[in-house]
Amino acid sequence: MNSLLTVSGLSYRKQKSGLFSNRELFRLSPLSFELKRGETMAIMGENGSGKSLLAKLLVGVLQPEAGSILLNGEPMCDSRQQRRFSAIRMIFQHSKDSLNPGLTLGGQLEEALILNTNMSATERKRQIENTLVKVGMLPEHQYFYRHMLSEGQHQRAAVARALILDPQVIVADEPFAALDPSVRSQTANLLMNLQQQLGLGFIFISHNLGIVRHISDRILVLEKGKVVESGKTEVIFNWPKSEYTKRTIQAHQELISGQ
Amino acid sequence: MPMLDIKNLTLEIDTPMGWVSALDKVSLSIDTSEIRALVGESGSGKSLIVKSIVGAIPERWRVTADRMNWKGNDLLGMSGNQRRAITRNEISVILQNASAALDPSATLREQIEESIPSYRLTKGWFWQRRQQRLDIAIQELHRVGIRDHNLCLSSYAHQLPEDICQKFSIAMALVSKPKLLIADNPTVGMETTTKVQILKLLTKLNKTQGLSVLFVSHDLLAIAAMANTMTVLYCGQTVESGSIEQVKRRPLHPYTKALLDSAPSFRRDLPPKSPLSCLDGTIPTLQHLPIGCRLGPRCPRAQRECVKMPATRHIHGHSYACHFPLHRDKP
Ligand SMILES: Nc1ncnc2c1ncn2[C@@H]1O[C@H](COP(=O)(O)OP(=O)(O)OP(=O)(O)O)[C@@H](O)[C@H]1O
Ligand code: SF4
Ligand SMILES: [Mg+2]
Repeated sequence: MNSLLTVSGLSYRKQKSGLFSNRELFRLSPLSFELKRGETMAIMGENGSGKSLLAKLLVGVLQPEAGSILLNGEPMCDSRQQRRFSAIRMIFQHSKDSLNPGLTLGGQLEEALILNTNMSATERKRQIENTLVKVGMLPEHQYFYRHMLSEGQHQRAAVARALILDPQVIVADEPFAALDPSVRSQTANLLMNLQQQLGLGFIFISHNLGIVRHISDRILVLEKGKVVESGKTEVIFNWPKSEYTKRTIQAHQELISGQ
Repeated sequence: MPMLDIKNLTLEIDTPMGWVSALDKVSLSIDTSEIRALVGESGSGKSLIVKSIVGAIPERWRVTADRMNWKGNDLLGMSGNQRRAITRNEISVILQNASAALDPSATLREQIEESIPSYRLTKGWFWQRRQQRLDIAIQELHRVGIRDHNLCLSSYAHQLPEDICQKFSIAMALVSKPKLLIADNPTVGMETTTKVQILKLLTKLNKTQGLSVLFVSHDLLAIAAMANTMTVLYCGQTVESGSIEQVKRRPLHPYTKALLDSAPSFRRDLPPKSPLSCLDGTIPTLQHLPIGCRLGPRCPRAQRECVKMPATRHIHGHSYACHFPLHRDKP
């Protein structure tokens, strides 16, 4: 099967200007991977290892120093910014802060459509309602403001924002960290469901190894800006190679067996 | 006699739509050297319990309880000074959202040194004490796994990443050698290795120094690994309480069962990518609380009787509040 997303030689260098300019510049060493349709990849690594940075490079919030990102074999370069933004969408770390308090949910979803598509007002309304239903909310929720939504609905709204432009890949930064167990399962189920229905590629960052093991097909492990390990989830859980991965998985097993 | 003993704590808060009971007859106790987990959905009132214990709630809210005792003394009846003395010397709290709870205008060194109780300073001369303060601070930071103590101590909270602030808050809470540590979601978003290190530290303090812990968390794996007992809260009501083994092996309340089933790590038989089990819907807002058992609208076992609040029942130190608990046949 052809790959959906092909990343090769992607690298980044962080320019730290100002007072501490002489302290460590962050560097993401060239990395490559492929993602197939309907596949899920988890990114693991220490805090500060460059996970969120990689996510931002993938969705185009930051520009890489070198390397290429191909979607369905076609390059995604600067001149096609618009296509890139709609094909690869991000769910940010704190979904609560990422919604504008002064706009209704529908207003916010519509903004993305106005900026990125040529849809008419009726088409936009239909798209908004369809998307809300897809993520398990009601069409009425388009009239809700941020403070009227519960934590779980915030997470769904964040997924709706990512889905509204019919993307092919979703990138999520710690989508489960702040959630309680039942909303966490609901969100995980929602994403797995959408993947099956729409063939979405899903890349997420997480420290929750239980969820990583359950929903990911492959894992990429970053350490200080370098990929130290990548492969099938079951292989990595059973035969971790790098020191960091071994330590983390061992700690997780310890927690499970320590019960 | 339990060290902390709370019976039927009710907290009413005023909202634009009138008074609502955010906590409704909550009971909770912690013995010496006990690690109790407090779990429940987001918005179920865990942080409000923590704040009620340390008296950090607005004056106008109404707090009532049949009993709210610290070592036999009534916390609600005592003066503000007495209460502050207890929270300064005997109970330490780590609030949710560590970096926001730290003082933004002082360096971390100033903050942790200020928390060192005077009895820990044994040296005579002031310059020796100065050094001793610093030594104690560094030692506490190392214990929670902060290696670069110089950078940490000379920084302000906003200059450091969240995970360092989290660890720092734990160090600061332990520096006064409290009898009871109340930790509100202390390991949220932490890497697994760091988390295990923190859990081991707390377990060790519990074993060697008899530290009691009230561990508020969503992390069922961490809870199962560390805690002795567990109290489950739903929508401001205590729904089940008992030893970890009891609750895990044989949950009696439908909510507890749903909660335990939702964690993939607890279920080794679960095929990868299969749907995780969870209750439908979300926790109601305080303005739209159902009458009777608040789980009612989401509960798979609900019957007509459930519009009456179920009484709390006890069997072998395990308590639950449900009309149709799981050890009875399905109604
Ligand atoms: N200052 C306040 N004014 C009005 N309502 C409040 C206030 N603080 C909390 N609440 C409400 O009380 C309920 C319980 O809140 P609490 O913060 O205790 O939840 P929690 O169990 O700690 O959740 P989480 O797991 O997300 O931390 C929520 O419905 C919340 O909206
Ligand atoms: S009392 Fe009724 S609604 Fe409440 S948990 Fe029990 S069965 Fe469910
Ligand atoms: Mg809380």
